[in-house]
Amino acid sequence: MTDERSGSRFLRFWWLLVIIGVLIVVAGAIFISQRAALAAPRQPVDFSHNLHDEAGVQCLFCHSNPLRSDVAGIPSVQRCVGCHQVIATDRSEVQTVLGYWERQEPIPWLRVVEMPDYVFFSHQPHVLAGVSCETCHGEVGQMSVALPTVRMDMGWCLSCHYKQPEEKIARLADCMACHK
Amino acid sequence: MTAKRISRRNFLKVTAGAGAAVVGLSPTARRVALEPFVRPPESELPGRATWFASTCRQCPAGCGIIVRVINGRPRKIEGNPTHPLNRGKLCARGQAGLQVLYNPDRLRNAVRQNGGRGSRVFEPIAWNEALDQLISKFESLSGPGAVSFMGGLMPDHLYALVSRLLETLGGAPPVLFDLHTALEGRAASVDLAARWFGAHRLPIYDIARAQVIFSFGANFLETWMSPVAQSRDYGDMRQGRIGGRGFLMQFEPRLSATAASADEWMPVEPGSEGLIALGIGRIIVEENLGRAGSHREHSLMYRNVGVGDVAEASGVPAEELLRLARIFTDVDRSVAIPGGYLGSLPNGRAASDAVMALNVIMHRLGREGGVFLPQEVPAEPFSLPVPVSTFSEVENLIERMQAGEVELMLIHSSNPVYDLPGWSGFQEALAKVPTVVSFSPFVDETAVQADLTLPDHTYLEGWGYQVVSPGADRPVVSGQQPVTNPLYDTQSTADVILALADRLGGDVAAALPWRDEAAFLEEKAAQLSGSSIGIFNARTQAGFWSRWRQNGGWWSENPIRQEPEISRDLAQPLEVPLPEFDGDPGEFPFHLMPYETILLSDGRGANQPWLQETADPMTTARWGTWVELNPETAARLGLANNDLVRVISTAGQLTAPVVVFPGIRPDVVAIPTGQGHQDYGRYAQERGANVMDLIAPSTGSVHWGSTRVLLEPVGRKAKLARLESLDGEGRESLR
Repeated sequence: MTDERSGSRFLRFWWLLVIIGVLIVVAGAIFISQRAALAAPRQPVDFSHNLHDEAGVQCLFCHSNPLRSDVAGIPSVQRCVGCHQVIATDRSEVQTVLGYWERQEPIPWLRVVEMPDYVFFSHQPHVLAGVSCETCHGEVGQMSVALPTVRMDMGWCLSCHYKQPEEKIARLADCMACHK
Repeated sequence: MTAKRISRRNFLKVTAGAGAAVVGLSPTARRVALEPFVRPPESELPGRATWFASTCRQCPAGCGIIVRVINGRPRKIEGNPTHPLNRGKLCARGQAGLQVLYNPDRLRNAVRQNGGRGSRVFEPIAWNEALDQLISKFESLSGPGAVSFMGGLMPDHLYALVSRLLETLGGAPPVLFDLHTALEGRAASVDLAARWFGAHRLPIYDIARAQVIFSFGANFLETWMSPVAQSRDYGDMRQGRIGGRGFLMQFEPRLSATAASADEWMPVEPGSEGLIALGIGRIIVEENLGRAGSHREHSLMYRNVGVGDVAEASGVPAEELLRLARIFTDVDRSVAIPGGYLGSLPNGRAASDAVMALNVIMHRLGREGGVFLPQEVPAEPFSLPVPVSTFSEVENLIERMQAGEVELMLIHSSNPVYDLPGWSGFQEALAKVPTVVSFSPFVDETAVQADLTLPDHTYLEGWGYQVVSPGADRPVVSGQQPVTNPLYDTQSTADVILALADRLGGDVAAALPWRDEAAFLEEKAAQLSGSSIGIFNARTQAGFWSRWRQNGGWWSENPIRQEPEISRDLAQPLEVPLPEFDGDPGEFPFHLMPYETILLSDGRGANQPWLQETADPMTTARWGTWVELNPETAARLGLANNDLVRVISTAGQLTAPVVVFPGIRPDVVAIPTGQGHQDYGRYAQERGANVMDLIAPSTGSVHWGSTRVLLEPVGRKAKLARLESLDGEGRESLR
């Protein structure tokens, strides 16, 4: 009898430990994944936005489509090589890019900013309405590695949509505006 | 109470597992690679769709499609809204075409089998080397007849090029045969039109404007001929655009989706269709029914027909035949359609004649809601649709192969090793051919028996055109163009043929002078330039070619059809012999009815998982082969849903689970075609059974509806994937 009771107490203690352990792991995983969401992915090429911005290259020179398409576009390898055929060809990162060009392979860039697939987002109306790139993407021109600077959740979208002129709010705050 | 101890090891396992699950399930930790173009095509704007007009190649109908392409990748196939055949609609098979393109089991380069045929050890071979091998085979042929080409559903331009090549070499013309066209009775329908109207064309039945349709085994809403166009027409007929709701009467032993959509389904005994048509005709002529005038000129056709005899032989009482005759004649616009199933019966030819005779006696030729012949496309390259070979021509080829007369066999878009029943001897004959070359993009059963496989592009990557037959209400040439760059190192067979001709030199090179297939197509298309009936015109050849690609082909602006003229001697009496089935009725008590499903068709759809998992419209079964039994028959044999049953004929046997299906005659067993592949990729192979294994031998044509079978319960169950059960089994229902 005594043995059994001490045995069950022992069991209860272990279960408690298990539950606490699970909670710690869950909390840790959530913390890590949230951090990861705002961390810079390891790109196939150590591309520096900062360097290109200082050289006076505009966002639209490489990401050329936001004025006419839903997506801004990742530059083609051809676009990179257009300049780097002659510029900074001695740099190892540029040589990596030229290697892709020689093999005629796409560079597998990792996505930095991602909208969930239940959100319909188009760059075109935003850019045409005069929203600058930095408003959403942060000061990418100051970054050596592109980072997501804001968590693009619905509250963040609406914080801006609600600030628009009154006659537009009904349309911009409509569910169907983004969740088509 | 016994205490369960949790060991330290288990504790760590649980926490590590939970942690991994949480991290794995967390969407925010996902990283997606974005691969930009290396060189962006000018037409591409990332994030914006480009639509290309082309032609569906999943069945021989030739529907127009438009394909939505984003970043150079086809994403969705829709019907071309301006195409006069399907007018914006598309069937499930057409939608699944993306899975032909993106199929994981596609051949990614040319291959040869090093371990000999059937070894399935494929070694990649460079294209120039493969071409060298092919040319040396051509050069070492002992005579012009020693090369044979077998095709199936191939683009018309490839057929034209291959025919020209063989003609210049002095060889026999290509043999075109595949199971689908055999099952739908394409060659038999052409033969029917030739007998009655002297035209080797597929007749058109004006479903849209008919008030009464008598369909004798024509499953025209699922698989027969041009199901999308016919479904649209049927919608028009039923929605009263003709000034009333049309009436469809379906005669067939099994309730197909067409029969299910009909006003009345008559489950007739297999082989009695022709007799019923004959009886109806006799009554019409005898009683002078209808408003078509006198039937005196037709009476000779029916002089050997007795209504009483027909009623007895068909099991349909004379009063019922009279009722049917009245339904058929009470309106002005009625039409009788002889379906593909008739052609499969031992008395199918005579039965088709008896059905066509109903249209003749009611003067339905060339009239609204009647029978028409297609109008020719007004330019030489398109004047004739690609002819389908009869089974006799296939038998002839097999004989030549057996006799060692064929030294080089080229096979494109056909899978005869799977399609043809074992007794045809095709596979054994193929083993006697020294060199076999397949052009299949997939390793199908025939490619396994080939020395060399030179994969063609899939249809979304390739060029072509197709003269639509049976047509819409007007002449149509559907154009096919690449909607994407080839995904893999495949080559267009038409280009291979042109390269071959160039290397062979001499007459052959002179007969096939084109740089590539696109140059050939542009030149041929231009022959329609200047036609007064077309939807577009252009001043230059290049301009015409560009309009052609924009529209997805060429067609007439207005409907034009031909009125068939009777070439048959109407004094010749009609006779429908009693059908003779293979197998003694005592020993083999059931009729076997193999049928094509709307999804897998003859089996070419079996490697597309979307089609495998879509439920069959009548039984909701998927991913397998099943045996449809009437509830009464099933109860008598002690069989229920999912019970395995062995189906035995004189030719072979197969085992498959039972589907108890009220829509079938108690003396008929229906089994869908399309499964039982040994090869053809991960989704197709080793799944279900091939019903063609049961078909009894015949000559002249494959009489796939004339086999009797015996059923033997196996005593085990095999659960068939079904979307729902017809009897509510395993489901809660409200009471």
